[in-house]
Amino acid sequence: MRAHLLSRPFILGIGAAILAAGCIPVQIQAPDEPIEINLNINIRQEVIVRLERDAQELLQENSDLF
Amino acid sequence: MTRKLVVSVALLAAMAFAAPAWSQQTDAAVAQARAAGAVGEQADGFLGFTPNAQVSADLRGRVDQINIRRRALYTQRATERNVSVNEMAAAVACEIFAGRVAIGERYRDEGGAWRQRTAAQAVAMPSFCPQ
Repeated sequence: MRAHLLSRPFILGIGAAILAAGCIPVQIQAPDEPIEINLNINIRQEVIVRLERDAQELLQENSDLF
Repeated sequence: MTRKLVVSVALLAAMAFAAPAWSQQTDAAVAQARAAGAVGEQADGFLGFTPNAQVSADLRGRVDQINIRRRALYTQRATERNVSVNEMAAAVACEIFAGRVAIGERYRDEGGAWRQRTAAQAVAMPSFCPQ
């Protein structure tokens, strides 16, 4: 009798292979360069110009926060 | 309904009285951390912690509180002016960078890099700020 492709030993073999793969140690290396996070500020400059007075007001009125 | 309202008003009143005493304390601890370089102003309008800074839970809480209250301010004003919160925060950052970073203090530029203001070198202004 020909061994069927999906025979019990075959499936067990695949299972063992998957388990073995899970045991391979994974090495994570910290990057040499410092991580730089871009603050990603999407800003329209003409709006900033318009908000100058508001910004000054917020600073003056909330001196405990700035 | 009325009872709920009374409780809310009482709570608000309590917060209004409690806030000044609390914020003065905040100032001292956070100002000290800023002078020591553990905390600094960021180009996004908020305070941040510099890399490798030793930050106590107390200090972290104080800075978080300031940032939460700043965000509330930015959000309110942004809504009134019909701009984004980020833009209102950035406009404030421009004012802070222009005049509120003392010599020796550290600040975070728009690219995310931390720098230090020295006597010889002025604060590098974010590109979105008016000249």
